[in-house]
Amino acid sequence: MIDLFKFKISALNTKTILLEWRKEPSDALLEHIIKFKSLIEKDFQVERCVTGYKSLLIEIKNKIKSLTYWEEYLKKLQKKNKPIIKGDHWKIPVCYDLKYAPDLLNLSKEINLDKSEVIKLHLSALYRVYFLGFLPGFLYLGGLDNRLYLRRKKKPLLKVPKGAVAIGGMQTGIYPNISPGGWHLIGNTPVNLFNPKKNPPCFAKPGDWISFEQIDSHTYTKIESEQQNGNYQLNKYD
Amino acid sequence: MIEILQTGIHTSIQDIGRHHFKHFGVPVSGALDQSAYLIANSLLNNSPKAAVLECCIKGPKLKFHDDFYICLTGAEMNARLNDKILKNYKPYFVKKEDVLSFGIAKSGCRTYLGISGGIKTEKVLGSRSQYKNITSSDKISKNTIIPIGKSNFKPAVGTRVKEQKINYANKKIEVYKGPEFKYLGKDQQNLIEKKIFQISSLNNRMAYQLKEKFTHSLPQIWTSPVIPGTVQCTPDGSLIILMRDSQITGGYPRLLQLTESSIQLISQKTTNSEIRFQILPKII
Repeated sequence: MIDLFKFKISALNTKTILLEWRKEPSDALLEHIIKFKSLIEKDFQVERCVTGYKSLLIEIKNKIKSLTYWEEYLKKLQKKNKPIIKGDHWKIPVCYDLKYAPDLLNLSKEINLDKSEVIKLHLSALYRVYFLGFLPGFLYLGGLDNRLYLRRKKKPLLKVPKGAVAIGGMQTGIYPNISPGGWHLIGNTPVNLFNPKKNPPCFAKPGDWISFEQIDSHTYTKIESEQQNGNYQLNKYD
Repeated sequence: MIEILQTGIHTSIQDIGRHHFKHFGVPVSGALDQSAYLIANSLLNNSPKAAVLECCIKGPKLKFHDDFYICLTGAEMNARLNDKILKNYKPYFVKKEDVLSFGIAKSGCRTYLGISGGIKTEKVLGSRSQYKNITSSDKISKNTIIPIGKSNFKPAVGTRVKEQKINYANKKIEVYKGPEFKYLGKDQQNLIEKKIFQISSLNNRMAYQLKEKFTHSLPQIWTSPVIPGTVQCTPDGSLIILMRDSQITGGYPRLLQLTESSIQLISQKTTNSEIRFQILPKII
């Protein structure tokens, strides 16, 4: 537990502080960083924070005068009572039909599992949102079953389709928009992960929970058109 | 309003940036040479956040549909108002139907066109800066009309800031040590300052990749935040300098961090420009 309080402080430039934890990423560290971030952002000297797996970046309004001041101040702040992080649970519909899953057969061959077994394992886990990055609305998810680990492609695809559900290394994720990418595409979701016209532009936030639910291509098309008409509401669970 | 007759190579609407949605993975964007951008607005008495046109290598041709004042800053790009040659860092009065055109950049590569009242396209997530999948396009397109705000600006006689004495050919890029710099061996730490690097053709608003490889044995890192000016080092030794349209987290070791003024300087450089890193002793 006390390990959570041990971070290393450094300055990236004259107005940016980086905190890094030695510990490996875990749910406990994630929750600690989320709570810590919410406390830091209340400080009037702080502009905003960005988080990674085991790091926290703090942009401050004026130049950093003394890093020692910030270190002592943050160490004290860290021990304050913090809110409880519950996190919402989102069920994201995914179609695993081969036309939406160009790499499913290859992945199942590489990891020596039947296609249906791959889908079953991917569906059965509960994933945690660690942070957002890479692309607007791209969720870094933890919790992939280790039987599904597969190193990224040697040559990235130039155009991964929007909504692609993919596995890369020890992670799984969803491409919110067309982009280059080296992960293995095992399905696709009709759900929009990022909408710049909305505030917040993405429904999920760090600390939330994600699970996938299988749909057929008929339902895929139905949700896709409902979403275009603005009639689609993603379900949230407790 | 202004009408775009020709687009130029990559002309985009930019402002101070989109800072408040980083935690959703949204890049900062905004003018790459923030110094030139801010001066263009200040010479027109615009808000420091007013949107301008960022012209890269070859600027656009455009027609004014109202009377305005305009001001050019940054790279020299052979700008002409009808037939008259325009200087940078000086407000000019332009009349309805006047045509502004640009040539190829002579020194530097990014020119900023500020317009009194500022560009008033729709704000998306708090900014007008164009970025793919956030605004409808990542650059301006031909035959479009761009709305401009109102302004009562009248320049004092002879307003012109002394030509900004920035030598865009200067090779020296000032940097701080990045979070993973310490994992380099001593020889490699010295080499990074001695070596002359060339900017590759992979340079744009997202990142500048350097041609020369830098062999290293840096450890892998867990994906962590990055900011404009972060120099990443890929496993095959490519050095990538992140710019303002870059992603907000990255998984490559962060070797160096450019100072604010070095980000501005490098954004005036393009393919084949040579640079040399100079490490500043300390950040604070």
